[in-house]
Amino acid sequence: MPEALRSEELGKTYPHGKEPALDGVSLRIPAGTVYGLIGRNGAGKTTFVRIASTQLLPTRGRVEVLGFDAVATPREVRARIAVIPQESRPLYFLTIDELVFYHLRMRGMDRRIARERTDTVLRQMGLADRANTLVSRLSGGLRRRAMVAMIFASDAELLFLDEPTTGLDPLARREVWAAIQKARHEGRTVLLTTHYLDEAEALSARLALIERGHVVVEGTPAEIRSRVKYPFRVSLPSSLSEAELAPYGEVSGVEGGWLVFAREDSARELTKLALDKNLAVAMAPISLEDIFLQLVGRPLTEGDALAEEGP
Amino acid sequence: MSVRHRLRSLWTIAYMNGVIPVRRQPLYLLNTIASPLSFLFFIALASRGTLLRPAIAGGMVLTMISIGTSLQADLTHYKQDMKFQDLVVASPVEAPIYVAGLALSEFLYSIPGLSVFVALWVATGPVPGVFDAATVVGTLLLVWAFSSALGFTLATYFEDIRETFVFGPLVSLGLTVLPPVYYPATFIPAAYRPLAFLSPATYAADLLHRAFSLGAVDPRFGPPLLAAPLDWLALIAVTAALFLLAAKKARWREP
Repeated sequence: MPEALRSEELGKTYPHGKEPALDGVSLRIPAGTVYGLIGRNGAGKTTFVRIASTQLLPTRGRVEVLGFDAVATPREVRARIAVIPQESRPLYFLTIDELVFYHLRMRGMDRRIARERTDTVLRQMGLADRANTLVSRLSGGLRRRAMVAMIFASDAELLFLDEPTTGLDPLARREVWAAIQKARHEGRTVLLTTHYLDEAEALSARLALIERGHVVVEGTPAEIRSRVKYPFRVSLPSSLSEAELAPYGEVSGVEGGWLVFAREDSARELTKLALDKNLAVAMAPISLEDIFLQLVGRPLTEGDALAEEGP
Repeated sequence: MSVRHRLRSLWTIAYMNGVIPVRRQPLYLLNTIASPLSFLFFIALASRGTLLRPAIAGGMVLTMISIGTSLQADLTHYKQDMKFQDLVVASPVEAPIYVAGLALSEFLYSIPGLSVFVALWVATGPVPGVFDAATVVGTLLLVWAFSSALGFTLATYFEDIRETFVFGPLVSLGLTVLPPVYYPATFIPAAYRPLAFLSPATYAADLLHRAFSLGAVDPRFGPPLLAAPLDWLALIAVTAALFLLAAKKARWREP
């Protein structure tokens, strides 16, 4: 499968940064897929997106986007990509329809095609009935959806979505997910950064987990699951002691009890033990959240990876 | 991007930023004319009308300088608060098109204000000839160009929109209120008068004063020192220098 993006030993240290925000990241993103970049705030996801989308220069390494060097030939890259920057906001004095339509015109699209694409994307994103509503009168979630519509209406081959669903309610998130899946069906490539692991798992053909500027693990969700030592989780009440549980796997204290990461046979044995003692127990395959915890050593939601990541 | 596509991008940016907001809220237009007209009003009143025509010229210059001030505010707001510039950087739109589109949008804002000053100019003196009209148009276009380049350069230094609230009025003060733009240079003590010519707005005012049949800004510095060709030369040189500085300072892709 051809690659939409390839980075080699990509590194970035901000002018006033003490640690590198990105430290030797090598990724291959197949064309026509959704690729998830997951990690905590400040892990380096946005820095990677900003370099690959020609907004920022790397301090080392190289990145090729759709066959063009993003550092040496940014014009070629920019003609083929579209980005939703992290924390970006739509122009509040426009209506949703104007926002999408004039974004396409700004990119140089003919009026007729821009009109058609605007109408289509607003219908697909469930925004047609609010097309003439001013952005300033929309909720935060609708503004975000309007931004996503703006990018999806473009003819870009590679879409960079930097945390596109942050702050959206579950229903709005699902609508954005549907749009992402549609983009994939159209043969476009989507690079999605998120710290919602359910989102990454639901949408991405491949994932990379970034922590402190390094890729910790990369692969399909199934491959990533297969690489962890303990593929099952067992939730148990606090009436059991840590010493009792330790032989079965890795024990973590959680609110109201214990979480044990274990191999399948140990997980089954532990579940049986708990049931024999009439204790509430739940056994399930681990989630991406659990994988993150196992690989990084702390939860995805715990603090920022780096104190400063630059602009 | 072809030339046609570039022009389309430029006009779309100008239309989005300069026409649509005004259509929604026409009161925005008052903002561009409030300060220049206030100065005109007080100077004309205090001078019992004798400085009305110099003040009209001053109003035109201040209106065009304000474009640069607004441009720096918009650029800073779109980059730092909205992240709109990041979206534009990662698109086929090139930096000069983006800046020119925003500068054109600010110019569109200023047209109604300029129209008021042009009407006052025509109404308060002899009917201007073609040469005088061309001088006014050329001068104001150059002021627009250098104030936009200055606004862009300043915007590259700002990380917060509030910084523009501080520097905007300072730029207006330094370029149009203190120099002899609204009044003749003879009002400045002779010893300090050469300082006025540090401001490019003084050269613009001199050209406008001549077009208004008011003579040189300072008759003692009249021909040959402040002859019109030298004014043009000074304005063009300042504009070119500011454009070079803007191009050098421009950080479309961050280092």
